[in-house]
Amino acid sequence: MPQWTKSYVRWVEALNYRVGRFAMYLLFIIMGILLWSSITKFIRVPSLWTLEMAQFTLVAYYLLGAPYTFQLGTNVRMDLLYSRLRPRTQALWDAFTVFALIFYLGVMLYGAVGSTVYSFETGERNPTAWRPVLWPIKTVICLSFVLMILQSFVHLLRDIAILRGEEL
Amino acid sequence: MPYEWIATLMFSTMLLMMITGQRVFGAIGFVAVVAAISLWGTGGSDMGFSSIMKLMKWTPLLTLPMFVFMGYVMSESRLAEDLYKMFHVWFGPLPGGLAVGTILLMVMISVMNGLSVAGMAIGATIALPELARRGYDKQLISGVIQAGSSLGILIPPSVVMVLFSLIARAPVNQLWLAGIMPGLLMASMFMIYVVFRAWLNPALAPRMTAEERAEITWAERLLLLRAGLLPVLIFAAMMVPFIKGWASLTEASVIGAVTSVMAAVIKRRFSWKVFETATRSTLAITVMFMLIIMAAMSFGAVFDGLGAGRAIEDFFLRDLGLSAWQVLVLMQLSFLVMGMFLDDTAMLVIVAPIYVGLARQLGFDLVWYGILYTITCQIAYLTPPFGYNLFLMRAMAPSDYTLPVIYRSALPFVGIMLVTLIVVGLFPQIALWLPNMVLGL
Repeated sequence: MPQWTKSYVRWVEALNYRVGRFAMYLLFIIMGILLWSSITKFIRVPSLWTLEMAQFTLVAYYLLGAPYTFQLGTNVRMDLLYSRLRPRTQALWDAFTVFALIFYLGVMLYGAVGSTVYSFETGERNPTAWRPVLWPIKTVICLSFVLMILQSFVHLLRDIAILRGEEL
Repeated sequence: MPYEWIATLMFSTMLLMMITGQRVFGAIGFVAVVAAISLWGTGGSDMGFSSIMKLMKWTPLLTLPMFVFMGYVMSESRLAEDLYKMFHVWFGPLPGGLAVGTILLMVMISVMNGLSVAGMAIGATIALPELARRGYDKQLISGVIQAGSSLGILIPPSVVMVLFSLIARAPVNQLWLAGIMPGLLMASMFMIYVVFRAWLNPALAPRMTAEERAEITWAERLLLLRAGLLPVLIFAAMMVPFIKGWASLTEASVIGAVTSVMAAVIKRRFSWKVFETATRSTLAITVMFMLIIMAAMSFGAVFDGLGAGRAIEDFFLRDLGLSAWQVLVLMQLSFLVMGMFLDDTAMLVIVAPIYVGLARQLGFDLVWYGILYTITCQIAYLTPPFGYNLFLMRAMAPSDYTLPVIYRSALPFVGIMLVTLIVVGLFPQIALWLPNMVLGL
């Protein structure tokens, strides 16, 4: 495989690994926020921001963490037939069907960008008591889909490498 | 092209895409966005994105990572080991005693956790080696663990019911209470079946020898009962604040997660390795669930936009002219068939909205219908060729548990679940009397 594919794979994997490991710990931020929320309820001054903040963090948690789980290979496949194929045949299948995945992620990104631009232009806020601005979380969503698409190309390159009998 | 054809086309393309072995969420999402764009042009491209925003507002989803985390803390720190020992000592003399103990362990896990994965992980790491060491039959072991862990979604707390309540707009607390009696009924039928099998053929489940029993003193037995306190404590820590209204559902699940960590720390079983594995696995499972739900919501939205719900309603009620009960039976049958192929979250988001609407129109009680739905999900976990527990079992058990063994092992338990489904279907009171009594409806 050409040199640029090697550096691409190395860079993207390293980036997504770091982002994913960071996202992994957001779980405890969610816990903290919700615990704080019960405490404030208990002392009878419930905070307004906790629930929405927890929702935002959950979105960031699973979307930023997603590329890392691609690396871990933990997204289920219907592998009744797939698991019986030889690695080369698996790679061949994947090299085609990964484009379906990339297309889906691309459409998601397209929708996300459109909505983020709208948020920036209008200063969109959540229609709740706390009224948080929505652009930060939407930017995070856009970023996550970019990372997922980058990671999907890593898998494509790997499959091509397997088909050529090489290792990436 | 008529809409029914588009709907059928979407469904079959999705199944085809899944068979290729691409990630499930990718397969569902791809079909959804292609259909949306070809039907509604660029306007359809926002459909996928809006499902993220919709999901964000589904607050009860926050319980999902909490329950997953809690399950992993319990299985990784081997917190349930003492509990298992307790059941082992107390039920050892019974034919198939250890298998009965395993089912009871699963009931306890279900009381603490709202997913099936936790039970599978604990069953495979703690119960399986012990059962195998005692010479229990492989098929019996595999069946007991798979069936037992599926109780996690029927006995409260239950994440599947949380998701159902979002779609049906039925109160979660009623659903949870309604799951208790059917769950216990099912668990006792499992146990009766195991004892009966072991009594017919003792080779399947060698009993504890008399010498071994004599070695255990009564003081030891009583001491082991303390292990039973753990599930009671965790359950109380979660449920009391929730039912008293001090904490919301999501906050209660956080309290549960924190309590289980504290229990592990107190028992000196909490290490960096436990923490790292639990945190990483929680991310992996949560992402897997969320991405599937996200894709399935887009799919469901397109389906909805096609008026597939209307079409199915018309088909059942007008074209076939069926009575309410006949429709109900047909719905459950089709759910069972779909459950063989689809994953339960996908089923929930794609099909449930249509069926729930239909059940409401027919005048059925949605809480009761939620229980029927949950039992059907349990069956879906265990029915070949595609089932969560089947695959988890294959992934977690030693390699001599081959897929054919696992498939065969699930069948008798699927039969028992079907019986429970029919019994609860015929006698709605089994599910409904508890919530009615507690909440005074």
